[in-house]
Amino acid sequence: MFQYVARRVLVAVPMLLGAMSIVFFAMRILPGDPCVSMMGDQATREALADCTKNLGLHRPLAVQYVDYLWRSVQLDFGNSLRQGYPVSEYIARMFPHTLVLVMSSAVVAGLVGIPIGIVSALKRRSPLIDYPLRIFALLGLSMPVFWLGILLLIVFSLRLDIFPLIGGGDLEGVLHMLRTGEALSSPGDFLAAVGDVLHHLVLPAFALGFTLAATISRLSRSAMLEVISQDYIRTARAKGQGERAVVYKHAFRNMMVPLLTIIGLFVAVALTGTVLTETVFTRPGLGKMLVDAIGARDYPLAQGAITVFTMTIIFVNLVVDMLYAVVDPRITYR
Amino acid sequence: MAISRRAESLDLGVTLPGEEGRRSLGGHLRRWLPLGLGILMAVAMIVLAAAAPLIAPLSPSAQYSDAVLKGPGAVERHMLGTDEFGRDILSRIIWGARVSLQVGLASVFWGFLVGVPLGILAGTRGGAVETAIMRCADMLMAFPTLLLALIIVTALGGTLANEIMAIGIALTPNFVRLARSLALTIREQDYIMAARALGSGQLRVMARHVFPNALYALVVVATLYIATAIRTEASLSFLGLGIPPPTPSWGNILSEGRQYIKCCPWITTFSGLAIMLAVLAFNLVGDALRDLLDPRLRGE
Repeated sequence: MFQYVARRVLVAVPMLLGAMSIVFFAMRILPGDPCVSMMGDQATREALADCTKNLGLHRPLAVQYVDYLWRSVQLDFGNSLRQGYPVSEYIARMFPHTLVLVMSSAVVAGLVGIPIGIVSALKRRSPLIDYPLRIFALLGLSMPVFWLGILLLIVFSLRLDIFPLIGGGDLEGVLHMLRTGEALSSPGDFLAAVGDVLHHLVLPAFALGFTLAATISRLSRSAMLEVISQDYIRTARAKGQGERAVVYKHAFRNMMVPLLTIIGLFVAVALTGTVLTETVFTRPGLGKMLVDAIGARDYPLAQGAITVFTMTIIFVNLVVDMLYAVVDPRITYR
Repeated sequence: MAISRRAESLDLGVTLPGEEGRRSLGGHLRRWLPLGLGILMAVAMIVLAAAAPLIAPLSPSAQYSDAVLKGPGAVERHMLGTDEFGRDILSRIIWGARVSLQVGLASVFWGFLVGVPLGILAGTRGGAVETAIMRCADMLMAFPTLLLALIIVTALGGTLANEIMAIGIALTPNFVRLARSLALTIREQDYIMAARALGSGQLRVMARHVFPNALYALVVVATLYIATAIRTEASLSFLGLGIPPPTPSWGNILSEGRQYIKCCPWITTFSGLAIMLAVLAFNLVGDALRDLLDPRLRGE
């Protein structure tokens, strides 16, 4: 087991290094001088030279590269060009918003996608059940999340006025209350704050969750089809077990193993989805921060956001690889 | 629970000899309808894009000051309404099809052209070449398609050529991986050994034997990636990183219309619908082709 884990970690390290190098060099070939974009066109030559020196941009590229790698490992991404605060502070503030969105959309995707996939597989080729569900999945797969988001906003925020149009609720407040123990001393305020966060979360989570549910339903359909034709299912049926027990006790558990492997893929897709979802719903978060940073040419901020995205994806994949080996004992720890 | 012979063959996703003839009309319809529908939609879209100057009722950039933010049909000449500059939405969507399809087709072509030879080389040669190619592909795979395309477009600037290249590069590792895994299976086949025994060199084996045998699976997946590419292009344009206005693309029409969703939801509704139909068309074709050509790939 130890060897397997060590091997996986060793594979992940060069991947992370490579991905970070891509980010670094992409940011270096960006058009425009970061100092000019920071201080404006009117800045004097001396001021610009000073700024270049302060940002360390006068050093050789190789030195900057090693410095960037070393600082990134310590989660130090420098200061935002616009506001001057450390990028890591921004990221720490925005990360919970994105995390909440990804997790809630995963819940929506799982609750919608897995049952649809199972039913669709069990009623395979039934023109009244399987085909409509597959068409539904295909539509979900083809529908851009930002369009679905706008349609939801038009109907539920503008016309029916049930959900807020922008914002993400006071998540910081909730976290603060949790940290200080205020959540226990004044539970009323805490629940109100949580309610507000959830209220802001419903539409984005549904929009992102629905588009992801399509992928999940297709994967669970094929996983179920694969499992249902196995010998142990036939054995279960032959020994006289009811169909319900066969499906839930034997098929469902085995079907979850292949589904587990796609969690990594899921997180990657969901994180990309947050870039679009947060932009549509004007919600704070890493994705929106990235888009805003690119728009404002705030390179350290953009660089930090992309690095955190990539790190998260590689890390999740690493964890999934390990989980997979734990869940399925047939995987050998080579 | 009775297990009949027929049920078993269906469960395995294979067609037994003789079953083909027993298919009912409904069976044929279910089999061919998605493919037919997808091809019809895709061809319609391509014709629309190619013949945009002939089909579009008005110029996509002409501004009608008497019809600013008018709803569908409010002014007779604007069937799908107008935007904040009084431009005809229908004409802009028809012209926007050009950008989407150009990027969709060209970037997949790029990914195919670069990724497939590398993947086949990795799969057939093995050794250090394979390790080097696959590690590079893994590195790019660490980024989701949209994120990688976003980084590249940001670095190079949002022009049509850059968008094609960015999405093409983002798709390349997918083709490398698939081509390699296909090549790994194919290289174990007897006909490859036969070709080698007859004195074929490495290059000849790859070009004349491995590639043609991998081609059908690659084309199926390429069709599905056209859908991904179209969606990625729309996303980039929506984020304001794609082709800059006033050139119409579905993503930037939708993005511009976002400010007016309160009064004029038709701008975002119709442009989004166009994106969805285009993506759906290529998803339908890719899915149906996969089902028809390769039962092994089904449901992947």
